[in-house]
Amino acid sequence: MNALVTGILLGGFYAALAIGLSIAFGLLDIVNIAHPAFIILGAFVAFIFNSQFGLDPILVSVIFAPVFFLIGVLIYKVYYASFEKTGAEALRGLAFFFGVMFIIEVLLIIYFGVDFQMVQADYIDFKLTFGGGVDLPFRMLVPFVIAMIMTLGLQYFSSKTFFGKAMQAVAQDPVALRLMAIDPARIKRIAFGISLATCSIAGALFVIVMPIEPSIGRLYIGIVFAIVVLGGLGSQTGTLIGAMLLGLVESLITTFFGPSWSPAVAFGALILVLAFKPTGILGRVGDTRG
Amino acid sequence: MSKLTINNISAGYGSVQVLHDVTLDVQTGETVVLLGTNGNGKSTLLKSVMGLITPSSGAVEIEVDGQITNLIGKGTEEIVELGVSMVPEGRRLFPLLTVEENLTLGAYREAARRKIAETLDFCFTTFPRLKERRKQQAGSLSGGEQQMVAVARALMSEPRILLVDEPSVGLAPILVSQMIAKIKELKELKNLTVLMAEQNFNQAIKIADRGYVIVHGHIEFEGKSASDLENNDMIKQYYLGA
Repeated sequence: MNALVTGILLGGFYAALAIGLSIAFGLLDIVNIAHPAFIILGAFVAFIFNSQFGLDPILVSVIFAPVFFLIGVLIYKVYYASFEKTGAEALRGLAFFFGVMFIIEVLLIIYFGVDFQMVQADYIDFKLTFGGGVDLPFRMLVPFVIAMIMTLGLQYFSSKTFFGKAMQAVAQDPVALRLMAIDPARIKRIAFGISLATCSIAGALFVIVMPIEPSIGRLYIGIVFAIVVLGGLGSQTGTLIGAMLLGLVESLITTFFGPSWSPAVAFGALILVLAFKPTGILGRVGDTRG
Repeated sequence: MSKLTINNISAGYGSVQVLHDVTLDVQTGETVVLLGTNGNGKSTLLKSVMGLITPSSGAVEIEVDGQITNLIGKGTEEIVELGVSMVPEGRRLFPLLTVEENLTLGAYREAARRKIAETLDFCFTTFPRLKERRKQQAGSLSGGEQQMVAVARALMSEPRILLVDEPSVGLAPILVSQMIAKIKELKELKNLTVLMAEQNFNQAIKIADRGYVIVHGHIEFEGKSASDLENNDMIKQYYLGA
């Protein structure tokens, strides 16, 4: 029972890590391999303000989300001008984001060293205990709630608003979008900004859940891409389900078979799902990218 | 008032010139057809009007409600804002989005958003089939249904001038004549000015007020009326095999 609860909480946390990538990779076809690195950057921003001024990490991350948004807009401009415009984005774009990842890591190492850091907040050590041995540690519950708000909010935004629909259409046929008076480059710029803004918030959640060091993001590259593919490219709801599934699998396997098995089983689940439904859990039929 | 004037435009792709000094006009409320077989520059001409291609020389002007605007150098988005809309060749739907989502995106421009409920209703009344299929992915529709979505989507932006590029491509003959009849009906209901590129002469002529024949990027013949086109020797030679 406890393993189930832990799994759901972990799944919510994973959803926060992956939701931005589900926009960048799932909708815009931008293989942002630096996504977890940006999350760690966000985590360190939360850490600085928390350790220096005692501010709440989540509050800091919300304040910094617009800054991350602007960084995203800027990065997309560079990416567009250097790669996408000439159609060279596939391999060089990947190399570009690899480079961005290393730059972020090295800068963080220079400023903070390679030691683990953590944040302080009243609720972090707090925990609700129920009968039957079920615990609700606030260290996991708070990130879960924030992750849900963010994920469901983005899901609503992308399915209900004009901008969200344009975001979904932009990779399918940018020229047709122009015929609807929509500038595809602008849509992608803003959407990528939103994707990075989620990194700020996911970063704060990350540092609440566990201690951070500059290159810890690398461990999560596989997981976040797996979640996006598992859920179905382009579906934010799918990403949430995929994240829950991986969280549950990881938690159950860790409890019953030990932690060393959990990545193998998690990625095994990915292969299994893709074997039966190549477009992912909620992927749209006819999506040939899967 | 909504008219389109194209003066002496030349255009192409890179070093390949496709259009040579093409001049044509479409007056308020007219349906003008641009006839020509594959590869003669029909699409290139329409793309030049929409700003998807920048002509190397010449002028494209529209007049909407007394306001004359030169379209050369303007971006596609801006041209759509001015009230020109195009049904592109090959339909170019967003295949993974639903019919309704495709149509909604058509109404992205500010002026169209305010009337979206009304225009959507209009589209569903005109194409009842689309209403049945509104929640279905556009990519899963039949060719005829996809063409309906493409036409309806172009109307969602509330255009005054409508360009239609080869509505007959990939459709069964019966669907072609239905689609052509629909375009005429919509033109009358919405007071549109229509320029339609088409290679199916027999179908296009049914709704044409006038027409031009384009051959290798030159306007070879200008028919002042539908019967004028029908009785032309060159057309007989090209299309009717006489």
